[in-house]
Amino acid sequence: MILLEPSSYILEESLLQRFTRYEAVDIQLVDFDGVRYHLSTPTSRTELLLSMAVPCFEELVSHGAQDIIQKEYSAHLAPEVEQGYNVSLKFDLENVPDDSGKYPALAKRIGLLKRNVFAAPYEKAFKEWETELQEPGSLMTIHYREEEAIYIRASEDRVTVIFSTLFKEEMDRIFGRVFLQEFVDARRLASIQNAPQVLYSNREPPLEIRHLPNLKDDESVGYVTFVLFPRHFEHPEVREKTISDIQLFRDYLHYHIKCSKAYMHSRMRARVQDFLKVLNRAKPERTTSNEKKLAR
Amino acid sequence: MSRLAPVVIDNGTGYTKMGFAGNSGPQFVIPTVIGTREAGAGGAPNVPKKPAFLSSSASASSHLASKRGIEDLDFYIGDKALSNSKTYNLNYPIRHGQIDNWDHMERYWEQCIFKYLRCEPEDHYFLLTEPPLNAPENRENTAEIFFESFNIQGLYIAVQAVLALAASWTSDKVTDQTLTGTVIDSGDGVTHVIPVAEGYVIGSSIRHIPIAGRDITAFVQQLLREHQEIAIPPEDSLDVARRIKEQYSYVCPDIVKEFKRFDQEPHKYFKQFEAVHSGTQRPYTVDVGYERFLAPEIFFNPEIVSSDFLTPLPQVVDQVIQTSPIDTRRGLYKNIVLSGGSTMFKDFGKRLQRDIKHVVDGRVQLSEDQSGGHLKAKPIEVNVIAHKKQRHAVWFGGSLMACTDQFYTISHTKAEYEEYGPSIARHNRVFNSLA
Repeated sequence: MILLEPSSYILEESLLQRFTRYEAVDIQLVDFDGVRYHLSTPTSRTELLLSMAVPCFEELVSHGAQDIIQKEYSAHLAPEVEQGYNVSLKFDLENVPDDSGKYPALAKRIGLLKRNVFAAPYEKAFKEWETELQEPGSLMTIHYREEEAIYIRASEDRVTVIFSTLFKEEMDRIFGRVFLQEFVDARRLASIQNAPQVLYSNREPPLEIRHLPNLKDDESVGYVTFVLFPRHFEHPEVREKTISDIQLFRDYLHYHIKCSKAYMHSRMRARVQDFLKVLNRAKPERTTSNEKKLAR
Repeated sequence: MSRLAPVVIDNGTGYTKMGFAGNSGPQFVIPTVIGTREAGAGGAPNVPKKPAFLSSSASASSHLASKRGIEDLDFYIGDKALSNSKTYNLNYPIRHGQIDNWDHMERYWEQCIFKYLRCEPEDHYFLLTEPPLNAPENRENTAEIFFESFNIQGLYIAVQAVLALAASWTSDKVTDQTLTGTVIDSGDGVTHVIPVAEGYVIGSSIRHIPIAGRDITAFVQQLLREHQEIAIPPEDSLDVARRIKEQYSYVCPDIVKEFKRFDQEPHKYFKQFEAVHSGTQRPYTVDVGYERFLAPEIFFNPEIVSSDFLTPLPQVVDQVIQTSPIDTRRGLYKNIVLSGGSTMFKDFGKRLQRDIKHVVDGRVQLSEDQSGGHLKAKPIEVNVIAHKKQRHAVWFGGSLMACTDQFYTISHTKAEYEEYGPSIARHNRVFNSLA
């Protein structure tokens, strides 16, 4: 299906290949939101170095990304971070995974590197909520892409997540609006009553962030607000899933806009074919005039 | 934000190679196949259902999601499509190197980009490949999809043969980096012999050979069936044949001597292939014998398998060069480049070089004799170049090219596309000409 996974498939695959075969590598990969990976063997064939660069790393660190990295990957952290990157992990292939059955699990965990780093602000918000806030917590801003940002704030009974997203093209904007409107409406279905509340506004920033300076005032900007209630993040498993899902929201949105366009295109092609058939049927018969010429 | 690496996608008939520029190999090599839910595989593409809100009889419910299905989103590509072939219809959107079904191809690309490469197309430049003699309309369609559906920043569509030539520059045998040479591109479906002079494909001299990887595998399979005492399970037989071909096959200099050698010292040459039954997980062994050198031999003696195509590969190459413009021929003989998985057999290049040399020398000798010994020809240099990146040569050439600074100046940007429309894809800035 078209579902996107929280972990980076391409990174997982590349790692799995290298775990079993010692060879010199130098691979550069890319992930959503301008994240870059560099997989290399700088000193010897058995020493694999994986570095990740995140454009908004400083903001994430200020919300505790470093702690998460420590918690999840402490066994593999490289002593020095590679020049030009933010996080470096090191694998000594000769003795890291002690039996080969663990390779896929390890690769999977490394594949979640970006997801885990980006999870920091959400974790922080959920923790803030746990302390039983009397008044709304601080507003966390992460500029995850050049002109787009995520705003997260914990309140006494909920956590609000606001995405600002940018549609570079007129067409995308219209598709996006229809899609998001649908998204809001679809929630009314009885089967998905448990989904978080979604609000969408075009151009007009939601109240929570209206006071912020430098908000882009343009038709191309859209704001999506998710209101997460305790049932979405009380249970640790549900919490992890919520974080994974909400992170991919922007990519899903843009992916689906593209899918919708592809769908439109295939309908257009089908239509053109139909019209061509009609046109071909309407062609006057030429053979008669030729026959006349021959007869003369 | 610094510029992110361009994406290089090489869509072949059998396999799609994709990855990011700057790497030495593609990150994914997956079959070019899409599994869809639509009824009726093959034939005319299915017309998607019209969304209900467009038709007059709109139902009372208030949202679109319940009105139309999501059949168009329910599909798999590549290996996942093959493993789900029981419930999904398999479609091969590329036939003979050219895109056949644009609906499927658009969806195939969609998933390549988002699910496999995980990149936001709006942030990247793309380099795509096309077969030689591709119709400009196809190129326009491709540009349309990439610019309008995916909003990519820039696009360059390169000819596969030229990229294969560029990839050969990594070999130590190549001294001067020219774009003149003959490319022998043998993939899964078909083998092409393509002469290229200074980056221009000489279209009138291209020859296609209906022998490629798939035929070799089928031949090995047939041989195994004939001489094997233990039966290979039929469902695994194709896969076993393919793996034997990939692991053990090589090109021999003389087929008669090779037979003798095998008969004298069977223990040295006969191999055992260990396989596991895919259903019962029971291991079994397969004896590998003459297949080892007979398999690639069908390039040189096609009469073994085919009754309608009988020209050996070296002769085809010679014919191709002989029909090219006379001033390019020396360059074409000097630089014969191999590309694609089916040219990976050990000593394939050596044998090919020897045979072509033989043909050429014979002809030179003949004309010298006919002149009565008055004329002496300058010997013609024949070089067949095999290199390490041969298997994915086209992709690697694309990766090299997308790394250069010029790449950004020669590719068409989104702004230009919006200015001129799809016809911009007909113009190639490298040659400053309409292609």
